[in-house]
Amino acid sequence: MESGWDMRHMLRLMLTSSTYLQDSASSEKKNRVDPANRLLSRGPRFRLDAEMIRDQALAASGLLERKVGGPSVKPYQPEGIWFAVGYSGSNTVRFKQDNGDKLYRRSLYTFWKRTAPPPTMEIFNAPSRENCTVQRERTNTPLQALVLMNDPQFVEAARHLAANAIKECGDDLAKRADYMAVRVLARKFDDVEQGIVRHSLEAFLNAYKNNPEGAKGVVSVGDSPAQEGIPTEELAAWTMVASQVLNFDEAITKH
Amino acid sequence: MNTSEESLREYTRRQFLGNTAKGLGTAAIASLLAKDATAGGIPHAQLPTAKAKRAIYLFMSGGPAQMDMYDYKPKMGEWFDKDLPDSVRMGQRLTTMTSKQARFPIAPSKYSFQQYGQGGTWMSELLPYTQKVADELAVIRTVWTEAINHDPAITYIQTGRQIPGLPSLGSWLSYGLGSANENLPTFVVLTATWTGRKQAQALYQRLWSSGPLASRHAGVSLRSSGDPVLYLSNPSGVDSQVRRAMLDGVNAFNQRTYEKELDPVVQDRISQYEMAFRMQSSVPDLTDLSKEPDHVFERYGPDSRKPGTFAYSCLLARRLAERGVRLTQIFHRGWDQHGGLPKDLPNQCRDIDQPTYALLTDLKERGLLDDTLVVWGGEFGRTVYCQGKLTKDNYGRDHHPKCFTMWMAGGGVKGGVNYGVTDDFSYNIVENPVHIRDINATIMHQLGIDHEKLSIKFKGLDLRLTGVEPTSPVKAILS
Repeated sequence: MESGWDMRHMLRLMLTSSTYLQDSASSEKKNRVDPANRLLSRGPRFRLDAEMIRDQALAASGLLERKVGGPSVKPYQPEGIWFAVGYSGSNTVRFKQDNGDKLYRRSLYTFWKRTAPPPTMEIFNAPSRENCTVQRERTNTPLQALVLMNDPQFVEAARHLAANAIKECGDDLAKRADYMAVRVLARKFDDVEQGIVRHSLEAFLNAYKNNPEGAKGVVSVGDSPAQEGIPTEELAAWTMVASQVLNFDEAITKH
Repeated sequence: MNTSEESLREYTRRQFLGNTAKGLGTAAIASLLAKDATAGGIPHAQLPTAKAKRAIYLFMSGGPAQMDMYDYKPKMGEWFDKDLPDSVRMGQRLTTMTSKQARFPIAPSKYSFQQYGQGGTWMSELLPYTQKVADELAVIRTVWTEAINHDPAITYIQTGRQIPGLPSLGSWLSYGLGSANENLPTFVVLTATWTGRKQAQALYQRLWSSGPLASRHAGVSLRSSGDPVLYLSNPSGVDSQVRRAMLDGVNAFNQRTYEKELDPVVQDRISQYEMAFRMQSSVPDLTDLSKEPDHVFERYGPDSRKPGTFAYSCLLARRLAERGVRLTQIFHRGWDQHGGLPKDLPNQCRDIDQPTYALLTDLKERGLLDDTLVVWGGEFGRTVYCQGKLTKDNYGRDHHPKCFTMWMAGGGVKGGVNYGVTDDFSYNIVENPVHIRDINATIMHQLGIDHEKLSIKFKGLDLRLTGVEPTSPVKAILS
């Protein structure tokens, strides 16, 4: 109040407090005594909002189109979602996807049909906007897992993240993995985590070694062309590694 | 940083194998159940007298014309082109589509009616197959609502209020009863194609939304083209082995996150990923109709082989019932016959008639009809007076809230029963009104939910599907 009801001051005060800056790691005792963190015994830890999850994948992969303002856009969406509910004569009964940069803008700019909202957003609890929602739910569902694994937007972002890692880090596999970790988790992997990633990478390389068609399939997901100068099987395998990183709980959680 | 191959292999042997999906699964499921106290529904709202374990709701979006299908009004023949008397209309509010009409000439139904079954149920010639199962149905001709337009009316019958934002019937059922199949959603929605006029009233995802209830109670829409569940299929080039390898890595990493953070959400997420992997097999197993014998397809009619049709949806609904889905709701659009009714209504009826008969027969043969409640109806009825130009062969009807027809079958409902009496004009109720709230209370009752006890605190109220007005299940049709 003394600050003159300055919101920024209030936010800065909270965010720089030692309470807020606590490690979000809990303990058996904390879970027992303070399960919902009402007593602020640890720092905040919660899943990111829908828009942030998509924007983060785009930003980490370098695909994010940062232009501000302008008309809404229509990124990837499975077929028939509008058609299933739309009024026959409506101009939003047939979804027509945009192209190029318009696929990679901040989720804020996604065209919003309230009676059939963008499914990725809805699956991550973005409200329909048909009525005022004071607080979003934060659910944990198999449909979310399916989005992060199979939505072309995320698979394509994974491919770009992988390609950038390969181009920047050459043959140093651990460095490639860290490149991704830094961009998605804001830190490097430790030894054990490097081991987990390496183990998966070997499985993926094995799978695509004698399966050029499968590899080609993976690197063709999304409208952007497959990156040149990288062997297809290698790009496919590392795309799966990047996809894995984008699926870690830590990747979609603020902590 | 030691990233030697030696230490990597050491990790692989000890930790990776120790953290297989099975090992994680038990811990994850244990934490999931502990966290979710309502996995079995809300016991204090459950009735020991439940007759049905599941329901299938055939929703006719647009408002079917009751007097052309179920509500036989022979006296209207003498009233052709005579105005609806004020004494009958009694100032009922009309939609702006007909309120400016100079006249309200009566359009008698051009269809012939007969009685069917032991119960003597009147039905029109438009329903030759449904006629055969008349004795399974409890037909209520006196359903009523206050809403006169589609969006408020359909939101009202699905959520209990005309203003959007509340949980749908299916969500309440999921919340109250819990799930009977951990690999499939509790509440499934199918939106079917229609062959009446192309212009049809819209639907809205809020009709199967969970509102302020937990979103796991929301209906999941199974689509008929592409992935039945959105994003179910792996991308091109990713087979189930690659997917499994990827998941093993995610699980291993997440398990370490859990050990560091001790946040139960992480364990839960592991189990959700495993559920997603299981759905990649269980959902295609559900939607793969190729093993259904030919005689089943013949019974449901030729459309049953075409994904997305009402017939196909009914067959799918039977399979969903077999797999324990609590509520399957099929939305069939196109019933809003404001004009050209004789051209469109027969097509609409043909869409639903044979599949409805097939569904009831199929369920009965498999011993499922006794504990599967089947509901049929729309959001309101239609006016006896003509909308637009009236001829002996062509007419249209506007929306009518004061009386319309729904029926229920199976799930402990009496068959061959006709409840409620409307006046000669199919305009007013004479005997035994059944508000749409009572319909919802009846559905809940048959599934074993006391509609007065299932509530949540919301905006200072005890929010219920059936609201605060006096409401009760229609006992007369229940066995």
